Amino acid sequence: MSQHIILITGANGHLGRAITHAFLEESPDNVIWLGVHRRREHADELAAANPNRCRVTSLDVTRPESWQAAVKEISAAHQRLDVLVNNAGTHDDAFLAQMKLESWREVLAVNLDGVFHGCRAVLPAMISQHGGRIINIASLSALLAPAGQTNYAAAKGGIVSLTQSLAKEVARIGITVNAICPGYLETEMLVDMDDAARKRALAQIPMRRFGKPEEVAVAVRFLACAEAAYITGSVLKIDGGIF
Amino acid sequence: MNNQDELKGEIKRMVVENLMLQINPEEIGDDQPLFGPGSLGLDSVDALQLVVALDKNYGLKITDPEAARSILQTANSIVHAIVSSNPDS
Repeated sequence: MSQHIILITGANGHLGRAITHAFLEESPDNVIWLGVHRRREHADELAAANPNRCRVTSLDVTRPESWQAAVKEISAAHQRLDVLVNNAGTHDDAFLAQMKLESWREVLAVNLDGVFHGCRAVLPAMISQHGGRIINIASLSALLAPAGQTNYAAAKGGIVSLTQSLAKEVARIGITVNAICPGYLETEMLVDMDDAARKRALAQIPMRRFGKPEEVAVAVRFLACAEAAYITGSVLKIDGGIF
Repeated sequence: MNNQDELKGEIKRMVVENLMLQINPEEIGDDQPLFGPGSLGLDSVDALQLVVALDKNYGLKITDPEAARSILQTANSIVHAIVSSNPDS
């Protein structure tokens, strides 16, 4: 298995850590850069436990200059960047009639603008090396938009459309762009749900359980592997069978 | 051969290698259009790759589509843009 240089945003969270572990298990040669902002304690632990294989970099996904600095740091260390996993996300649910403009803008900025800035930052390196993998973490909310998530659903729906459009732009250069739409996962996203809400959510899931971050991480790893070279513009639901 | 002729040869090689064209660099005329009718047949994705390659290899930053259309017309126009952006070289 050859070495991959990988950048994961939102790497301090449950899903980001699971994706990191998946790439660590894939090859002892992989080097994973953990993009973090505000909180970094778990990412620092991962880096301490995996010296030379995990490195933490400060990355505010909403700021183009932060992306440029991170990509410059990675390119200086490795002269290439093979995989970008746009995983950073946030939500701030409210009915639109009561939604604050700041909430709308913040959720769009992190979830959607962040993906735009990230793709723009890594594409020159990937175009130069005639190959690369971009995996965007969207959400089931992009496809089955629930009430109370106009900002989040719009952002995640935008990620799906961005993914499909960009996939066509760069397909010939050997760069694949895919989106994953996780359903309910056992991550910090569920922390805000009370017991009644959890029961209602479980009732919607044909498998009657929440997904594990690891079950999404393996799909990310697959989309990044050499055997997935013909898969691009795909939108993969991982949700226990919700339709 | 002067510097600009050498640079022109480099640019033609860069075009062929980056775009994986099945031609020899010498087959590209100095003033042959790269895009459009009677051209080498390049398209917008090729242009994207050339913009990245010119930045990487020559530090030539092409920041908007209008500038790209002007600079990427021919091998000569690319050489002119590189020389103009580095007047001391």
